[in-house]
Amino acid sequence: MHLHLLFNELKLQYYEMRQYWFETVSGLILILLMFVGLFYGIKGFVVEQGDNQSLDGLVFGFIMWSFASAAYGSVTKTLIEDNQKGYLEQLFLCPQGFVSLVLHRSLADNLTSVFMVTIIAYIAMAATNNWLDINFPIMYGILLLAAPSLVGFGLIMCGLALVFKRVETIGAFLTLGLMGLVALDGLPFNLFSLLPFVPGVSLAREVVLEQSPFIWSHLVIVLANSAIYLGLGIVTFTFFERKAKKLNLIGQY
Amino acid sequence: MLSISGLSKCYKDKHALENVSFDLDRGEIVALLGANGSGKTTTVQSICKLIEYDEGTITLDGEPTHSSNAYLQKVGAVLGGSRNINWRLTAKQNADYFARLRGFSGTKIHQNINELHSALGLDEHSKKEVMKLSTGNKQKAALLCALSYTPDFVLLDEPTLGLDFQTVDDLQTIIKQCANKQNQGLLITSHDLAFIENICSRVIVLHQGKLLFKGDVSALKSKMYKYRLSLQLNDRQQFPLASMQSLWDGRFAITENPETQIVDVHFETSEQSLKFIHHIHEQKISIAELKIAPLSVDEAYQALVKSEKQ
Ligand SMILES: Nc1ncnc2c1ncn2[C@@H]1O[C@H](COP(=O)(O)OP(=O)(O)OP(=O)(O)O)[C@@H](O)[C@H]1O
Ligand SMILES: [Mg+2]
Repeated sequence: MHLHLLFNELKLQYYEMRQYWFETVSGLILILLMFVGLFYGIKGFVVEQGDNQSLDGLVFGFIMWSFASAAYGSVTKTLIEDNQKGYLEQLFLCPQGFVSLVLHRSLADNLTSVFMVTIIAYIAMAATNNWLDINFPIMYGILLLAAPSLVGFGLIMCGLALVFKRVETIGAFLTLGLMGLVALDGLPFNLFSLLPFVPGVSLAREVVLEQSPFIWSHLVIVLANSAIYLGLGIVTFTFFERKAKKLNLIGQY
Repeated sequence: MLSISGLSKCYKDKHALENVSFDLDRGEIVALLGANGSGKTTTVQSICKLIEYDEGTITLDGEPTHSSNAYLQKVGAVLGGSRNINWRLTAKQNADYFARLRGFSGTKIHQNINELHSALGLDEHSKKEVMKLSTGNKQKAALLCALSYTPDFVLLDEPTLGLDFQTVDDLQTIIKQCANKQNQGLLITSHDLAFIENICSRVIVLHQGKLLFKGDVSALKSKMYKYRLSLQLNDRQQFPLASMQSLWDGRFAITENPETQIVDVHFETSEQSLKFIHHIHEQKISIAELKIAPLSVDEAYQALVKSEKQ
């Protein structure tokens, strides 16, 4: 971990948010409205059924999905979405290596999105006077442990993009795919546990939503899932990075 | 010292670089010249490790650059014309970002950025993000980033592209200061020989990936032809090529294209052509077209290549 890189990325985010304050503010307001909408819309429906659990579940699913998109996007936006010609070349000149830079950027993005979503969730709860039974710190703790799996997955996609270009189309498809990932149950260990991020969501669901007792072996599955996908991502990306450098494709963006 | 030795890079079966070696010292400004596709950008990319080269070693202060990226702290680069920075930030924010990316921050860096920002004439655009700058100012913003942390070695790939005369002038001053005051070593690729002549102590000329010439500017200039006379005769029959050759004083090179019936003569001083034209007039040789023009740098390379081959 290089603190100066993390700080640099946080500062970059701040600069960009401030420069594009309109997009930033309208984005935040949109999320706030979605929360408020969820609360009011579902509340009427839920109260009829006398089941407060499903509101928590829905909000939980929404947070999971937005977090998963943010974690995946934190890696891919640098390489796939944000392909300004030549900017990428300069990023490859990072003395700690490009992968390290991307990981720091992704960490900075995830920290910011956690921070923002939590604040907005609380504002929405206060505004609608509807207090969810979700322990945010624990939930985000678990999510941050699970996020590296999506980061690794993003790195694999970026590696492919570096050499084959034109992978943007996969992006739209992936948004839906992430919704699926967030809905699956990967605990206790089953085939779904092999998919990125699934054990993490499942653990968060168990501990935070269902308030079942915490099981150590489940945490180990989450950590293993993260470590394996991140490792796979770094190895795959490094492989494609070399290939791109052989063919001189980095500057060709 | 930055040392490049035996550098080779192949695409499929075509050599982009073949056994290129040269050094760059601190405090030195060296030009990397060559026609389009001669391998200048490939050389710069190799030094930055943006491409993987096939053979050769690049060392910085004796340390090989292959195993670790840490040497990039000492290297700044402007690559591929303008535009290679974050379009959403202002020039200064970019400079701050790229300096810290290399591991440099603090008041001294900020002071340096502010000074360069003014020297480059960017102050009046300080509020605009790079996206909204003109091509030339984008180029300047990229320069600001490359120089922000005063790296020991600066690589500039066509820094004059899109810059007006005044800015090229300012750029020359800034580059000279980098070398003289900050003791930075600069490698500059360009097609602008006048620019190169004003600032560079040494030049390296590449041709089709091979090192064609290495030495100081005056040595290169003395090797290159300056003018070309193109002559098209009306009638193939009366082409007295042999007798014409004797009319050229000093160094020259004649090439004849039988298909177009054009004779090209490369020569060094303008007076050389006078005797020749006088002769044509005297002999009443009928000509369809005659042109005398100074050679562009790229054309001069071609002439140099031909004379090197002989
Ligand atoms: N990705 C690539 N695949 C195949 N050949 C390439 C690739 N990139 C560069 N080349 C070739 O390598 C050679 C050297 O190119 P390079 O860009 O270094 O030239 P240059 O001297 O910078 O030219 P210019 O003055 O136009 O900038 C050229 O023949 C070019 O076609
Ligand atoms: Mg080039």
